[in-house]
Amino acid sequence: MKVLVPIKRVIDAYVKVRVKSDQSGVETQNVKMSMNPFDEIAVEEAVRLKEAGKVSEILIVSIGDKSTQETIRTALALGGDRAIHVQSDDALEPLSVAKCLQAVIKNENPHLILMGKQAIDDDCNQTGQMLAALCDLPQATFASNIELNDSEATVTSEVDGGLLTVKVSLPAVVTTDLRLNEPRYVSLPNIMKAKRKPLEEVTIESLGVTLKQHQKVLKVTEPPKREAGIKVDGVDALLDKLRNEAKVIG
Amino acid sequence: MQNIDKVQALAQRLPELEIRTSQEYCQQYGKDWLRLYEPNPCAVAFVRSTQECAELVRVARELALPLVPSGGRTGLSGGATALHQELVVSCEKLNQIRDYNEIDEVVTCAAGTITANLQAFAREQGLFFPISLASDGSSQIGGNIATNAGGIRVLRYGLTRQYVAGLTVVTGTGEIVQLGRGLVKNACGYDLRQLFIGSEGTLGFITEAQIKLTRPPSATSVLLLAVNSIDAVMQTFCRYKKRLSLIAFEYFCDLALAKVTEDKQIKAPFEAASPYYVLIEFEHGSESDFELALSLFEESMDVGEVQDGIVSQSEQQANELWFYRESISEVLASYHPYKNDIAVKPSLVPELMQQLNLVIAEHYPLSEVVWFGHIGDGNCHLNILKPQTMSANEFKQNCDKASHLIFAQVQKLGGSISAEHGIGLLKRNYLQYGRTSYEIDCFGDIKRLFDPDNILNPGKLIG
Ligand SMILES: Cc1cc2nc3c(=O)[nH]c(=O)nc-3n(C[C@H](O)[C@H](O)[C@H](O)COP(=O)(O)OP(=O)(O)OC[C@H]3O[C@@H](n4cnc5c(N)ncnc54)[C@H](O)[C@@H]3O)c2cc1C
Repeated sequence: MKVLVPIKRVIDAYVKVRVKSDQSGVETQNVKMSMNPFDEIAVEEAVRLKEAGKVSEILIVSIGDKSTQETIRTALALGGDRAIHVQSDDALEPLSVAKCLQAVIKNENPHLILMGKQAIDDDCNQTGQMLAALCDLPQATFASNIELNDSEATVTSEVDGGLLTVKVSLPAVVTTDLRLNEPRYVSLPNIMKAKRKPLEEVTIESLGVTLKQHQKVLKVTEPPKREAGIKVDGVDALLDKLRNEAKVIG
Repeated sequence: MQNIDKVQALAQRLPELEIRTSQEYCQQYGKDWLRLYEPNPCAVAFVRSTQECAELVRVARELALPLVPSGGRTGLSGGATALHQELVVSCEKLNQIRDYNEIDEVVTCAAGTITANLQAFAREQGLFFPISLASDGSSQIGGNIATNAGGIRVLRYGLTRQYVAGLTVVTGTGEIVQLGRGLVKNACGYDLRQLFIGSEGTLGFITEAQIKLTRPPSATSVLLLAVNSIDAVMQTFCRYKKRLSLIAFEYFCDLALAKVTEDKQIKAPFEAASPYYVLIEFEHGSESDFELALSLFEESMDVGEVQDGIVSQSEQQANELWFYRESISEVLASYHPYKNDIAVKPSLVPELMQQLNLVIAEHYPLSEVVWFGHIGDGNCHLNILKPQTMSANEFKQNCDKASHLIFAQVQKLGGSISAEHGIGLLKRNYLQYGRTSYEIDCFGDIKRLFDPDNILNPGKLIG
């Protein structure tokens, strides 16, 4: 069984994000980049399925500029077998990403597409769903558990007050949630081995996709600064402030 | 006159000075993190300016009232402990950061400034204050200077000393002296500022410091390697240090890792155990540094130094890898270990460990021994765990005997009996293993020069 895992390179979750001075976006120069954490979970799940003998090949796909290959190598070191790098210097909106992936799927015919439920940079939570619609495939989102056999996947997700389990026939799109697994560390010997794994570079044009921009970012701004607190001298002063400044008590 | 009466007299002379005499204050402010001694101060004073501190010292000197300079009380040698009815003088309320100059990259801060606040201030300027300790949320810059604190980035950034561009101190005679004055260059004779750095409150109060900030590191990554022997640890150090800008090079033994994974209920980082683990944090300004780190790893695999390794892929993973190293101290605490913080030249660490392991095996065959530390600085934390069958008392007596044997070995290898934590009360009686009698005589002369009546931290560091 072949699994396709799309991954995205994003600003590291621990980095304090700064807005560019011209408000056109956020600063990415000299900023630590990492694999989107949900995608890391998808890669880990694919590797576990392979280790369990249910999957025979893991194909990694990522869209982005040259530096994306560093993230792709990480996915290969974690256990991906080969990778496709779709070159693009522009940030793509979810529909465009889904269209590129659709083209790759047409060529590759995977049995399962395992992907993060959302990317932590734009928090869109759209690509998986759009991809399933474009390819006319069943979808199971927010997976916290996946059981796989040759023809179907049983996927559990956490919902308010309980668990929801759905069964989908394969091929299908499954998106991963945080509690599905805990990704392993990348071992250095595996990074070295990953260098020898095949990585194919393709362009969007060569996939036969034409993209249309539907959205334009007008500006990005910082959230308003919180004002520093003050110390008051005593209960009376506090009551006075609550009454006359904050006007929260009568 | 009892010391508490002297404090009364002091309070009358300096009515503005905040003085607390309650049990609660005395207990809390009378000890540092070592917690080996029963605190017994007569009172606690809080100074709010250099001037006030100087007045306090002058009056205390007239009254022959001994003083204990007190910072964040995170010290590990008993330096800020008051055992004999001294007046503890806290710098906690002397804590403003002011006068930052962008061209000089120097900031003036009062001694009581919390280390973490100074780090945050530096970050706001786009700069970096590199002294980083597990205790830096409580320790103060004055305390850092008085102990010449080190921490996890010494390999790359050096000790606190490196960042002290100037000091304002109040000597034991109540004199206010400016030392260094923030100059980069000053070739006019003795640099007295250096004497106060690491003086453990015995020469004077540090009331204000001019701190030189530096540039923050660019992106860093953390490697954790499973290493086959202590010699291989040193070879790995040599290999990486030559080619990469290392920020930290730490090591720990397998027993340390086993205790951490057991206590914290976390996964071991590797499938197979190995005798030692090395944590390397390095800076990669460019992609090629990262590639270089990989090829260095390949080399050390090829020659059989290391058997496995992992690399952090995100800040979170970097923190997780550090967690293995940083949890050791805390996890070992429940074993009531005998701890020692010793140093030799990095090249001599394998020999030091071998010699000390022999000593320990001979005298304490029942004890487990845990080694870890800042091995890139030649700094080892030796921990001997109390055997469960042995009483605390018997163990302590054994350890006191062990100290002499251990320090004698350290001395033989030209090492230090206290790498980072100072002498304080804890190692006062062992100073002769770390310093020659000539040096100790000089210490006494210097002490008398600045504090002729021995009112500043008497009994600490030197007799
Ligand atoms: C969890 C933990 C981790 C630690 N890790 C490290 C580490 O990695 N590296 C390291 O070097 N240390 C470490 N330490 C030890 C300690 O944090 C440092 O020695 C620190 O610099 C002490 O600062 P402080 O403000 O708490 O000083 P205190 O403990 O209050 O005082 C220390 C000494 O300095 C004197 N002193 C304090 N303030 C002044 C002043 N204004 N003027 C004159 N003398 C003064 C005191 O009299 C005393 O002798 C650690 C401690 C803990 C608890």
